Amino acid sequence: MDITRVPNEKKLYLCQWYFRVGFLFLPFVWLINVIWFFNSAFKQAPFDEQKAIKKYVIFSAIGSIFWMVILISWIVTFQTNRIEWGEFADDLSFIIPLGSK
Amino acid sequence: MLKYLIVLLYIVVFVSLVSSDRTKDKIYENVVGNMCFRRLNSTHQTGCSSAGKSAGSVGVLHYIEKEEDINFIINDAPAPPYAPILKPKFFTRENILKLRDSKFVSAIILINDTSDMTHFSQESKCPNQFFRHINQPVCDVTKPETVWNPYGTGLLHENFDIPIIFLANKNESDKVVKCFKDFNTDLEGQAGKALCSIELFSFMSAAGNSEVCIRRSKFAGFLKQITYCDPLQGKNIYGTLFPRKIVDPENRTNDQSEKIILISARLDTTSMFDGIALGALDSLASVATLITSAHYLRKIVSNDVFEKNNVNVLFVLFNGESYDYIGSQRFVYDLKKKNAFPSPASYRKPLTMDNIIMMIDIGPLDGFDTLSIYSINGANGIANKFSASAQAYNEKFGLNVNITTRETMSLPPVSAQTFLRENSSFPAFVVAAKKPENKFYHSVFDDAGNLKYSYQNKSLDFDKLDVVQDTKEASVQNKIRNIATLLALGVYDILTDQKYTGEGIASSALVDEFLYCYLVATKCRLFDSIFVFNDDYRGSNYPPQRYISVQASLTLEATGWAYRVFGFVLSEKVDKDKENCTELPLYWIPGSLKNGECRLTTQNLSYAISPAFEEEGYNFKSNLYSTWTESTWTDLSARIFLRPSIAHESFTFLIGLFIMIISFLLVYFVKSKADILFSEVVNAEHESLPAQC
Repeated sequence: MDITRVPNEKKLYLCQWYFRVGFLFLPFVWLINVIWFFNSAFKQAPFDEQKAIKKYVIFSAIGSIFWMVILISWIVTFQTNRIEWGEFADDLSFIIPLGSK
Repeated sequence: MLKYLIVLLYIVVFVSLVSSDRTKDKIYENVVGNMCFRRLNSTHQTGCSSAGKSAGSVGVLHYIEKEEDINFIINDAPAPPYAPILKPKFFTRENILKLRDSKFVSAIILINDTSDMTHFSQESKCPNQFFRHINQPVCDVTKPETVWNPYGTGLLHENFDIPIIFLANKNESDKVVKCFKDFNTDLEGQAGKALCSIELFSFMSAAGNSEVCIRRSKFAGFLKQITYCDPLQGKNIYGTLFPRKIVDPENRTNDQSEKIILISARLDTTSMFDGIALGALDSLASVATLITSAHYLRKIVSNDVFEKNNVNVLFVLFNGESYDYIGSQRFVYDLKKKNAFPSPASYRKPLTMDNIIMMIDIGPLDGFDTLSIYSINGANGIANKFSASAQAYNEKFGLNVNITTRETMSLPPVSAQTFLRENSSFPAFVVAAKKPENKFYHSVFDDAGNLKYSYQNKSLDFDKLDVVQDTKEASVQNKIRNIATLLALGVYDILTDQKYTGEGIASSALVDEFLYCYLVATKCRLFDSIFVFNDDYRGSNYPPQRYISVQASLTLEATGWAYRVFGFVLSEKVDKDKENCTELPLYWIPGSLKNGECRLTTQNLSYAISPAFEEEGYNFKSNLYSTWTESTWTDLSARIFLRPSIAHESFTFLIGLFIMIISFLLVYFVKSKADILFSEVVNAEHESLPAQC
């Protein structure tokens, strides 16, 4: 879908819903929201719904950055300590790599 | 019509002329060999694995003709990584570890060129040293009496992150050496040339130690359960000299008045490479000794003796002893449970450690000229008694075996260690050669040649005993027969409280036939005489695999045959025809003369899996039981090919890169000029615009 061809109220509707859905532990939806509506929020000529869209885009950005920080720090912690944690780490793993400790 | 026929003819000719090999087959040539693979215990991983699951390990072939060639690879290395081709002569601990630790080596190839080879053993100098009985002196290389495998390199217990392959077949060895000689001999110019290389796949799933891989294998994962490793396991074989009474399950209680003399040997062997381990001298000779003495004893002792003294003889072949005494540990574990051996399914009364009045363990017999009786403090005097009997018969029959008794804490690495570990005053002694002489212990070269065995094929009735007159020939068959005779007669005296007055001694023909079946081919006279084959199949042209392996439900061929051999040697003929001889313990066999015989058998199987894998929550750090496991793998294969020079490879890569960049640029150009290039299409899109407003 080419978002530039969508009417403005539909844009707001979509942007709002993407923001809401992101609360279901779906940070990637927020990230998509930011990328998708970035131009509408900041680059395009002003229109009625732009302010609201801008708000959702900013909050989505904050949310996804927050998540990214959490995820990256967890992944780094887990990957560096996986072998050391032994059984606990195995229990947390979906797939245990073949041929490694 | 003619025109069509001509066209058809053209097609047929064309198709038949075209070679339709796949590109892959034109590039690669497969190499068949035996791979080193990974095993794990409670603390370590040992053996080999290739680099990646799909990538394999690739190295440039380099034939090692002298020690300096190894230094060339490690230090100069114009076109790394390398895969050195070694003769057994160069497969020393020093060389192999040097190659393993070099970053320029990606694989090692061992070829079957035994020139200048004096010894070859990858087992440790002190086999099974961490499961010795508590008073056994610590193995110390400076004290020869504590070292049981003086030629050992210990490489079997090292970890290799590179694959090692053994090319047993001469054609395969020649193939790789020729490829090296054809393409790789210009050492200075190697960097700029296409070089013959090998790619090996032997990626192992398990890593770390047995505890980790077993835990992961038990874990039912998110998508599917993956088996990383399996415990080494098999079956022990046992049989009694006299049939034991069949009892109902509710009457299955231990009877302390039942006395047992236990005679044991090791069934299994091992080597560094998958699927090739005959262990002729290291344990098969001992198995042959046990089988032959069982056969002999059965012939010379009548059942009245059992009724008089209530002493029975239990013969056991322990499995998995090469890996920290798996079989005997399980046996002792079951005896201690007081109702687990024999299993309830056997309908015999259970036995305990206290039923065993003495144990004779047959260790490595190496030269067969010496027989030492090793015991701790004389094993309550029975070792001396046994030795005196054996010596007397040795002189009587002129068997020329040098018999000595050795009261020592330093016993050979055999199953008796497990019993003494449990109870240091257990009445066990070991019969073995005076000193270890096997130069190929636990290696791929411990074969018929190492045993100095050649098939005599005398076509004698192997179910008959030898007479003293033909004892003189110094063949290995006769030597094993002599040891078996002494062993059986030593037991005879204790069992019957009498002297043997007969003239017959153990059967050398049985030794000959038995060794043929286990060293040359299972399609053999002995097996054909003790088992009724249902169809034309009469066994394979290969000897059976004696490495314990990881089969839980399936019984390996070597074990199955040993079971049937027990059924033959430890059974008595009963007067029944084939129709009434179908239910165990009755068993119909063709017999040595192929007349058909009904036998009352006594043999059975018991589990040889370490108690470590049976006990809930076993502490793997406790070092109580063997913890050996074998990693799983998906592929063991090797192939050679010509690897282009670095310059050639870089050139190909750069062309690819160049074309990719060009295509991106082209697409960008087309896209940016789309309104000019595809004007009509663009117009059509414009026309549809209003609908979207």
